Amino acid sequence: MGLSTALSEITLVLFTTLAPSGAFAICALALLLMLAPMDAAQRRRLDKFMYIPLIATMAGLVASATHLGNPSNALFTFMGVGKSPLSNEVFAAVCFLLLTGVYWLVSFRPLKSRTARNVWLAAIVAAGVVFVFTVAFAYDVESIVTWNTPLVPAALVANACVGGPVLAATTLRISKWERQGVYRTLGWISVAGLAVSVVAYVLQGAALDGKWNYVTNAWALVPGYWWMLAAYVAFCGVAVVAEARWRDAAPSSGRRKAGAVREGSAGKGKAAAEQASNPSGHRRIAGNRPQASDVFALTCAFCGIFVMRFAFYMMHMTAGMGV
Amino acid sequence: MTAKGFYFDSTRCTGCRTCEMACKDYKDTDIDFNYRKVYDLEGGECTLNEDGTASNSAYCYHVSVSCNHCEDPACVKVCPTTAMHKDAATGLVLVDDSKCIGCGYCHMACPYNAPKVNREAGHSVKCDGCKDRMEQGLKPMCVTACPLRALDFGDWDELQREYPDAAVGNIAPLPSKDYTNPHLLVKECRDAKPSGDMAVKVSNTQEVM
Repeated sequence: MGLSTALSEITLVLFTTLAPSGAFAICALALLLMLAPMDAAQRRRLDKFMYIPLIATMAGLVASATHLGNPSNALFTFMGVGKSPLSNEVFAAVCFLLLTGVYWLVSFRPLKSRTARNVWLAAIVAAGVVFVFTVAFAYDVESIVTWNTPLVPAALVANACVGGPVLAATTLRISKWERQGVYRTLGWISVAGLAVSVVAYVLQGAALDGKWNYVTNAWALVPGYWWMLAAYVAFCGVAVVAEARWRDAAPSSGRRKAGAVREGSAGKGKAAAEQASNPSGHRRIAGNRPQASDVFALTCAFCGIFVMRFAFYMMHMTAGMGV
Repeated sequence: MTAKGFYFDSTRCTGCRTCEMACKDYKDTDIDFNYRKVYDLEGGECTLNEDGTASNSAYCYHVSVSCNHCEDPACVKVCPTTAMHKDAATGLVLVDDSKCIGCGYCHMACPYNAPKVNREAGHSVKCDGCKDRMEQGLKPMCVTACPLRALDFGDWDELQREYPDAAVGNIAPLPSKDYTNPHLLVKECRDAKPSGDMAVKVSNTQEVM
């Protein structure tokens, strides 16, 4: 029964795998754009490559819409805002993606006012945080006994902190970000997210045995729970390690492969160099090509999160007689 | 608005499924889904004693359940579109097909296993209390069809007056009534176990899930 529930909700498994991590990565980039000193060329690259986590988040949202029986009624979803957790989630997703998407479009002709840009970025971060929490609490329903625990939102937020930094680091490398401190911070957030999520999952697994209704018990719904958790630890552990090992060597090799111009230290110099390499006048914002090890780390992280999101939907069970 | 509800007499029910099949026929539901389901509950054991005699504590009883048109329905609470709603005119919990997106959240939240998404139709489906029959002054098809007269339906207040020896759904496999305040009155049979007693199990899970 658990397997059929998860398979029928597979697009939601995909959504809750991709979207929270995508939102984390967008927020991380937005925070860097707000707070980290950087030259104009770097800023343009960060702005441009924000589309990577944006696409990941949107792909998740689009995937989730495909499980609807009648998507043409989707606008009615806003009628439940403030009442239904699902409406809150959809509303937060739309706000967050609108803010981010429009920022990305506008960034091709950046706002002159730094204050306006920072306010916009702050709004993106706030909407992103709200979005992740609405996803985390989307299934916080009293009658669903296996989901009605703080461990569920804790694990989802922790998942975002595992996959999000890997996605953010990949995006930063593609956008030629060189300062290692940011990669280190992201790496440690991944490690912390992994640790918190494993604790949450172990506690959740330990509690499964005591949850019954009159039709089945939670343990019977997810008989391979510990194996799935082991796969999660393996996948995400490899992702975090791959991310950390690759951190130091990557930017220079990436630059060589991309054949980009080695830029001077001054921002104006960099911009001039980019202009010079592109005499047609069309402003080309070049980045590094994604590295195989980055793609590997990202794939591992998402595979691991996917496995535990699948386990989450498998364990759906209400009080009384619902599965 | 007068709330509506069902009455179920477990001292009469033999588990014959006539209610289930009459509903299925009348509503023309798919082969894999019934609006009303009969749950078989089994427990106890039969042991062979040293003196060759047998001790028997085995028991079985049946509970016929559909949507209970709850006072505080979990499905209505979680519905993102307000398609699942309490109808002001009839007091029934109904699905507005023109708003439903078929997300299945109502199915996930209902502890009575009542609503389900009909993928072909693209929206949730469930017992509507036979509201078309109600408008003609008739009882729902399941109530009319029951050969044991174990079911009844009507205004919630009147039902409670009519069946003073019944209590709001509180026997297994029903969940605690505190989740949704169901409009389901149940007259307990001798073997019925209270909600929360996990010694008893539904034995026909493949049939009702």
